[in-house]
Amino acid sequence: MHPRYFSIAVVGLLLGLLVGFQVRLLELPEPPLPPHDRGRILTAELRELALERESLSAEVRQMDNKVKTARQGIEQAEFALRAEIEKHMVLAGLTGVAGPGVELILHNVPGVDRPDGFLFTVRDEDLLRVVNELRAAGAEAIAVNDQRMTASSEIRQAGPFINVNLERVSAPYRIQAIGNPDDLVKALEFPGGLAETLRDWGINVVIETRTELVLPAYLGRPRPEYAQPLREGV
Amino acid sequence: MRSRFRWALIIIGLVLGLMLSTQFRAQQEKVQTTTVQRIEQLAQEVEASRAERDALRARNTELRNELDQVAGEAPHGRLRNELETVRIQSGVSSVTGPGIEVVLSDSSLPSQMGQDPNLYVVHDEDLVRVLNELRAAGAEALAINGERIVATSEVMCIGPAVRVNKTKRLTPPYVITAIGNQDTMIAALEMRDGVMDTLKYWGIQVTVRRVAEAGIPAYTGPTTFNYARPLSREGGS
Repeated sequence: MHPRYFSIAVVGLLLGLLVGFQVRLLELPEPPLPPHDRGRILTAELRELALERESLSAEVRQMDNKVKTARQGIEQAEFALRAEIEKHMVLAGLTGVAGPGVELILHNVPGVDRPDGFLFTVRDEDLLRVVNELRAAGAEAIAVNDQRMTASSEIRQAGPFINVNLERVSAPYRIQAIGNPDDLVKALEFPGGLAETLRDWGINVVIETRTELVLPAYLGRPRPEYAQPLREGV
Repeated sequence: MRSRFRWALIIIGLVLGLMLSTQFRAQQEKVQTTTVQRIEQLAQEVEASRAERDALRARNTELRNELDQVAGEAPHGRLRNELETVRIQSGVSSVTGPGIEVVLSDSSLPSQMGQDPNLYVVHDEDLVRVLNELRAAGAEALAINGERIVATSEVMCIGPAVRVNKTKRLTPPYVITAIGNQDTMIAALEMRDGVMDTLKYWGIQVTVRRVAEAGIPAYTGPTTFNYARPLSREGGS
């Protein structure tokens, strides 16, 4: 082959290589997601799933027992049904419960020259935040000034007071939550956490763990007027 | 003729070069996939774990139905009604009824230079506020994006998503479904200087509509407590 043709071919090859790499560089400006993070997300999900499965298995065992008991006779069936009702009452907050947890006291900041005597007052949104954080940290039962928080409990400003379950409560606010005491405290007390934020605003926040708390049941228990059970549902 | 031959050579060279670089690229990606492989394995484990969880859920539903069958027998009518009611209140049964649907989506306002774009997206707090307002207006059952809200449900921002019921990650738009008195609930949301006004101030898009037959699914999370014991029957079941 004529050396000139050969050099032309080499130039062509080099050009092709250059173009090819260029395309690659353009195509992959950066890795789509750090794989490490994906791994962490999946591992966290695996852990959550393991906990969920554990609790579901426990429930299957309980339900299995109830069904077996119920099949033994009328009295046993009544016993099993009462146990099931009881369980859902506990979940719904319609039964008093006891257990370890935390107690928070939020107090308004006194201000002598203020008309109502307070420089800064705790508002409904502060309590809502605290309750939400406690729920996120796994609280199983929560009460605000002895008003048990159910799925339909509100915390709502009404002038200088706050209504919880349509009952008027006022400062100091005492929030009690049953659950893992360490988890519950950690969810509130950390640099930049909710307790610190509230303290920055001047609210007096005291958080203490308790080995035994007793939370009342929600008593105003109206029958649902609008919600009907869906017959065949999952 | 000569120049055509030259062009042919150039093209052959080009093609060869492209092929070589593609080959190299494919080789490199294979190296990367060893880390991807581990992720894939994890993903498979998650998939298997989910399947197992779903099977347990299905088994629970089955057993619940069996118990209901027993409850449906003549002597247990009163208990059956009580069970039905209390399951609506605990959130462990699917419900239907008249209600409303509130849709919240991130702001459409062009975010101004130097302003925190975070101010214009839907936050956990906004959802908590809307839920709270609906509760105050007597909502009997609530869900966000089909995830039932029960007594222990939290609403937490996790990056661009919102987490509820500890494991469910939801993304906007957020659809809150509430069963209850439609007029009372709508009036509560639309009150002057109420939730809707506040949200609209930040440009968050909120729409409310009536739903004659709103369906809200059952809570599917754990229903056993590890710390709280019922007071009436010490020792548990």
